[in-house]
Amino acid sequence: MTISKKIVLLGHFGVGKTSLVRRFVENTFSDNYKVTIGVHILKKEMDLPENQVNLIIWDIEGNEDITATRSSYLMGSHGFIYVFDTTRKSTFENLKRDLDHLKNNYNNVPIIVVGNKNDLITSAYLKENSSLFEQVDYFTSARTGKNVELIFEDLTKKMIS
Amino acid sequence: MLEFYKKQHLYPKVQFIVIAKNGEVTASDDNLFPLEPGSDIAEFHPFFESVIPLLADKNTQLSYYCIHIKDKICDVDCKTFEGKDPLIVIHDLTEHYESLQLVTQMRNETVIESEILSLQNTYLQEKEAFKRTFIANFSHELRNPLTGIFSFTEMLEKTHLSDEQYDLVEVVKSLCQDLNIMIEDILDLSKIEVGKFFTKDEVFDFDEMLDTVNFIYSTKARQKNLNFQIHRDEKIPQYIEGDQSRIKQLLANTIENAIKFTDEGQVDLYLKLNNKRANKVNIQFEITDTGIGIAKKDLNDIFTSFTQVHKDNKYPGSGLGLAIVKNLVTLMEGNISAESELGKGTSIRFNLKLKFPLHHREKQKKKTQESDILFNNPDKYSILLIEDNKISQIIVLKILASQGAFFLDIAENGAQAMERVEENDYDLILMDLRLPDISGYELAPLIRDLPEKKYAKTPIVALSGSMMGDGKNDYKKAGINDILQKPFQELQLLKQLKKFFK
Ligand SMILES: Nc1nc2c(ncn2[C@@H]2O[C@H](COP(=O)(O)OP(=O)(O)OP(=O)(O)O)[C@@H](O)[C@H]2O)c(=O)[nH]1
Ligand SMILES: [Mg+2]
Repeated sequence: MTISKKIVLLGHFGVGKTSLVRRFVENTFSDNYKVTIGVHILKKEMDLPENQVNLIIWDIEGNEDITATRSSYLMGSHGFIYVFDTTRKSTFENLKRDLDHLKNNYNNVPIIVVGNKNDLITSAYLKENSSLFEQVDYFTSARTGKNVELIFEDLTKKMIS
Repeated sequence: MLEFYKKQHLYPKVQFIVIAKNGEVTASDDNLFPLEPGSDIAEFHPFFESVIPLLADKNTQLSYYCIHIKDKICDVDCKTFEGKDPLIVIHDLTEHYESLQLVTQMRNETVIESEILSLQNTYLQEKEAFKRTFIANFSHELRNPLTGIFSFTEMLEKTHLSDEQYDLVEVVKSLCQDLNIMIEDILDLSKIEVGKFFTKDEVFDFDEMLDTVNFIYSTKARQKNLNFQIHRDEKIPQYIEGDQSRIKQLLANTIENAIKFTDEGQVDLYLKLNNKRANKVNIQFEITDTGIGIAKKDLNDIFTSFTQVHKDNKYPGSGLGLAIVKNLVTLMEGNISAESELGKGTSIRFNLKLKFPLHHREKQKKKTQESDILFNNPDKYSILLIEDNKISQIIVLKILASQGAFFLDIAENGAQAMERVEENDYDLILMDLRLPDISGYELAPLIRDLPEKKYAKTPIVALSGSMMGDGKNDYKKAGINDILQKPFQELQLLKQLKKFFK
């Protein structure tokens, strides 16, 4: 059976949302930063043992304030990927608040929290900041591809269960 | 005509589409995108795939902004009605959004850049703070063993040593001293940086200080065949209130540096009175040289600790000298700047806010030490020191500087010494017995036998590390008048000189 699921990538600008999507969908990466305005919507099929899932991925523009995100973009979502940049503190210092906001407004929608640009940090840095990273599900790198496939797979499983 | 323009600007930018509940296109004006009636709009673009499920209810209106559809950027309105098919209206706002894209791009890049910069800054500051405390503690720890090495070396120096052993001990001492200077420099710097550095105020004779500076640096400059000169503004008061030893340190560091990086020409110290009000003076010090110069891009780095703009073994040093100068000047509320041209020379300029006593009673000379009154000759005695050991050079230099009665040249080996004696007329020659290219016993007769016998009568005093070496008793035969044993005290040297300058 084929089902469609809408996924939205959230997070500050420049954290690597577009890069993660491009890595996942096209398996490419670029060092150039091209700001996303509005939303790009891409589709990718995910084959799970029991189902085939059409992921409709909404790569939206970055926003420092999650409450300012256009609600039309979030409406009808089945899953969220919250992305932050492990090298920029401003992109994860309000992580808790943002996650609470999502839980309060989109109660049953599963969220995956992703710390991106993992290739730029050391394990020592991770250890030092471990308290800030408690709620993180995956550390990814769009550049190397590390864990990229995995976050989409994991979210898909959560969405169909 | 109007209709034509309207058609171009308005009409084609909006597309009306009517779809069935399942997403099948029933009608489209195809103004933006061609859509076959009967085709699935979800197949046309995934945006619609996620919107269609939301159109199940009647009388809803959904508005989406800034959606990328194919190569256009559009706003999309979706409306459902009671008993009629849903309507989709697409507005093409590509141009508008593209200009917005440019603005956002610039804004975001600036924010990210400044975040990354501040990240690097905090990282650098932490590193810098760590470096400072580490260096302060570490150099302090280094001082104790070094003091130990130095004092034991001095004890060793006073035992019975052969000339060769004495020279080796001198090398150890000289290296200790180099190390000590560096450690003191580092300690100074870190003390300034953590705010534990204090300057003291005392009245001192500015001219006397300049005399000493002049003596030491013109001697050092002559060693490299350079000319060193002080140009003093007469309006500067003779007595100044400030931290004499720190001012000396400032001058020493800048002038040493200038001499180090100059191979030919001139090093000058210009002193200018900037202003004088009440008991305050502002003096400008400018040190210029005709040396190798500094590239523009490196000019800012010369005052930074541990940066050596000229990373060349030809110019050794820790790179701390000018950093200390900069920090000291800042601490004393002055300004410092540098100008330079590659291959032409460098000029370092700083000014200090000092005080001067309004009614200074002619200083009662507190000259109590016996050495101080040894020489008061009106004409300076001209002395040549032939010595390769840097420590011994400095010791002699300092002792003679305190007298203000001498003119000193330094030669580091026999060959240099011969050049100097031929070109000049010295009143006395101080000579180390062990020189790199010749021994004193061989050199003295060469000097004595110069054409016209111009040095036949000039006193030659040998400096020796030991009294046990070969031929010690033959020094008179070699034409040496007397021997002074190293290490000697200030007074021993001065008395020795006095003997010949009666
Ligand atoms: N080193 C490294 N750089 C990355 C990674 N992911 C993204 N980047 C870089 O980060 C910058 C921003 O990436 P984007 O994917 O455009 O970020 P975004 O979250 O989509 O940004 P907005 O669209 O403005 O919200 C780009 O220069 C990317 O090359 C990563 O995993 N490692
Ligand atoms: Mg993006």
